[in-house]
Amino acid sequence: MVKIGIECHLQLNTRSKIFCGCSTKQVDDPNSNVCEVCCGFPGSKPVLNKEAFEKALKIATALNCKINKKTFFSRKSYFYPDLPKNFQITQYDFPIGINGSFSGVKIKRIHLEEDPGALIHKTSYCLVDYNRSGIPLVEIVTEPDFKDPKEVREFLKKLITDLSYLDVYDKKSEFALKADLNVSTTGAKVEIKNVTGLKDIEDALSYEIERQQKDAPKSNETRGWNSDKGITFLQRVKESEDDYGYITETDLPVIEISDNLVNKIKKDVPELSEEKTSRFTLQYQLRESDAKVLSSNKKLAHLFEEVAKKVDPDIAAKWIIRDLSNQLNYHKKTLDEANVKPGDMIDLLKLFEDKKITDNTAKEVMIKIITEKNFSPLKYIETNNLIMKSDTSQIEEWCKKAIEESSDAVESYKNGNEKSLNFLVGKIMELSNKTANPDVARKILVKFIKK
Amino acid sequence: MRAKDYINGVKSGKISAIKTVKSILDEIKKINKDYNYFNNITDELALELAEKIEKNPKGRLAGLPVSIKDDICVKGVETTCSSNILRGYKPIFNATVVKKLVDEGAVIIGKTNQDAFGFGSFNINTDYKVPRNPLGKTRVTGGSSGGAAGFTALTEFPHVAIGESTGGSIAAPCSFCGVQGLTPTYGAVSRYGLIDYANSLDKIGAIGKCLDDVELVFDVIRGHDNKDSTSLNEELSNNNEVKTIGLIKETLDIDPKIKDLILKKLNELGIEYEKVSLPLTSKYSLASYYIIAMAEASTNLSKYCGMRYGQEEKLDLPYNEYFSDVRTKYFNKEAKRRIILGTFTRMAGYRDAFYLKAMKVRTLIINEYKKAFRRYDLLVSPSMPIIAPKFSEVDKLTPAENYMMDIMTVGPNLAGLPHLSLNAGVYNKMPVGIMFTGDHLNEKKLFSVGKKYGV
Repeated sequence: MVKIGIECHLQLNTRSKIFCGCSTKQVDDPNSNVCEVCCGFPGSKPVLNKEAFEKALKIATALNCKINKKTFFSRKSYFYPDLPKNFQITQYDFPIGINGSFSGVKIKRIHLEEDPGALIHKTSYCLVDYNRSGIPLVEIVTEPDFKDPKEVREFLKKLITDLSYLDVYDKKSEFALKADLNVSTTGAKVEIKNVTGLKDIEDALSYEIERQQKDAPKSNETRGWNSDKGITFLQRVKESEDDYGYITETDLPVIEISDNLVNKIKKDVPELSEEKTSRFTLQYQLRESDAKVLSSNKKLAHLFEEVAKKVDPDIAAKWIIRDLSNQLNYHKKTLDEANVKPGDMIDLLKLFEDKKITDNTAKEVMIKIITEKNFSPLKYIETNNLIMKSDTSQIEEWCKKAIEESSDAVESYKNGNEKSLNFLVGKIMELSNKTANPDVARKILVKFIKK
Repeated sequence: MRAKDYINGVKSGKISAIKTVKSILDEIKKINKDYNYFNNITDELALELAEKIEKNPKGRLAGLPVSIKDDICVKGVETTCSSNILRGYKPIFNATVVKKLVDEGAVIIGKTNQDAFGFGSFNINTDYKVPRNPLGKTRVTGGSSGGAAGFTALTEFPHVAIGESTGGSIAAPCSFCGVQGLTPTYGAVSRYGLIDYANSLDKIGAIGKCLDDVELVFDVIRGHDNKDSTSLNEELSNNNEVKTIGLIKETLDIDPKIKDLILKKLNELGIEYEKVSLPLTSKYSLASYYIIAMAEASTNLSKYCGMRYGQEEKLDLPYNEYFSDVRTKYFNKEAKRRIILGTFTRMAGYRDAFYLKAMKVRTLIINEYKKAFRRYDLLVSPSMPIIAPKFSEVDKLTPAENYMMDIMTVGPNLAGLPHLSLNAGVYNKMPVGIMFTGDHLNEKKLFSVGKKYGV
């Protein structure tokens, strides 16, 4: 039986590091964004960043954890060149949150800790950059509740979505999501250390399960993940549990978490994706799959709700999920980068809803909303005379012309090929600069050809 | 001359700070040849600060020469904690106490000798030359702030020493050298820039020839500091009335001559007391203290590995071997002993039996003191069970016997209580110290009873 548990490390989006005033911005120049505290110089002392603490507390609350009334920090001792003090300030005995659950998975614990620096491996030597040292991380540890890699991926995807709802996490940051993966299939436990990103996590798990099924590990071991080769590799066999000699970090006082603070934080937790999905299905009568897609992105969901205030939610959902998302993907832009304003979407979709523009026109304008700066849909439609034409005599003209120019299609239609009619409608759209009412055009075509 | 009189002299222009500082620097060099009180004499910095004061004599400590224990960071000045592993290390920042002192016009004259990282009660565990007792060169100064207390006793100039105590490192050398030293309430003085021995125990304090000097400097260095999360927000208690004093019964089980001297002095001064028993503290504070102190110390010393500062070696080994090599070469025996013991007490399987149990005992000891302070304004005991021993005597002690020397002092240190060691007289030509202990933030009571000693 496959059992998977994960320990994921997420970088909190605070302005300054966890124990000093250095910025969390990534800088290129190594060891330039550091001070005596994050470099662990003798005599320096940590001071807890309140923002980091409250964000971790917010995550613990959102993941339905029991919040410890008292929490404190501990020293996890191990010698490694990227660790300035040769101990990491983390939480051990009383983490911020325990015994939570999220998306049907039991959460063992959630705690706050500092990130070490980074090693830069050169061919014959190794350099250390402490710019990352002291970046605040939240570690979320699950019970071994997952049975296959896909579940893990789905869980993490949802987790990331919800964390972005909480405004605690920056998806774009380079090291935003790192995980240690515990996999057991036959008894011996294998830990894969430091896998970054959703796809690699899923791949590493799949590879490891397959590997274990072919060749069952005889003892507990720690493995690494080679992303380029797509394989895990043995780092060391674990004869006993690691012993980090935890003691209390007495430079930081015990933190008492009052009910008041917990309540205040609870109030700050917004509606998360799962609740949003079910609300969308109820309130807007959306299909669950559509509601899920919209909820999976905080900004997309917001855009939808703004548009749905003025436009039929069905139309809003369809256009936002299908056309807007597709075109964003195609143009490799995010919603923010494209700067899509709800007002523009409303203007456009309202015209479509009222049958004042055709489907084709709407699509064309949608692309311009994404790609052009200072673009106004209404002005564009007006200037280019794109309002839908339902006037019979005008459409009859286009029909005649289409029939003349496409005798093959006409023949084919006469021989019973219904699809040829679509071709002719398309022709009319071309002739009319996409403004002909396609329903009217279709009726007239049928009438003309039968004659 | 008392510091206050000197400072007034400097401010009124009657005394030249530059002249005084030059003289004290000369004196240090002379004394240091025989007594080894200073690891580093900061002539340049001292003269620079003295000149500034001479031009503009301002601040509560205008022109006052102050020595700094070598475990406190002074920007740009070699700071080693008397350990070879930190030789050559010059901090990039000032400790908060150093900043406060300089801001009030103090003149930093140098870094004083100590047991390396504070590990010792006699100052014999220094990687520099061992300091000698000002009243007898064949005897120890006491430790770990030995250089601070020794120089304070010998100098003929106005001077206050900044010391530091983890388990008795201010009271012990003060007692042995016959000077006055305050170990403040834990958190009353910022530890920012103090190189950690045991973070939950370390306290910076002041050592002076007279009590006035100690009070004056303590008043400058105390106060909240945002950079030290354990620094207290509360002010000192203003109550300085001492009505009841408890003499700790268990601390009298020592050389009867020392005991008699202490009691005689109390009677002479008309200080009334009742005997009080602190059974838990007497029995368990030493064990609890050493376990906690060593557990914390063993993590604090991890950062010294020849990589970022201090001593280094040629790097041609894997990092683990390299770290081991550097640490083997540059830590002394006592540091290694405490790293090993401290690491042991926090290992899985032993953590519950040692480290966590010691933490629980610590809470019980604090409670025992708190209970005593419901009845007594202050507690009193000898500072040390003996007078300053000869080096030949100390050599014969086992490590455990060494640790026993702290039996009087570990209690208040463990509980974070302020305590004041005063010279109570002389036995066998060597000074004997008496120690008053107050409740948290009750330093004013200590000073008020201390004044009766006329020191």
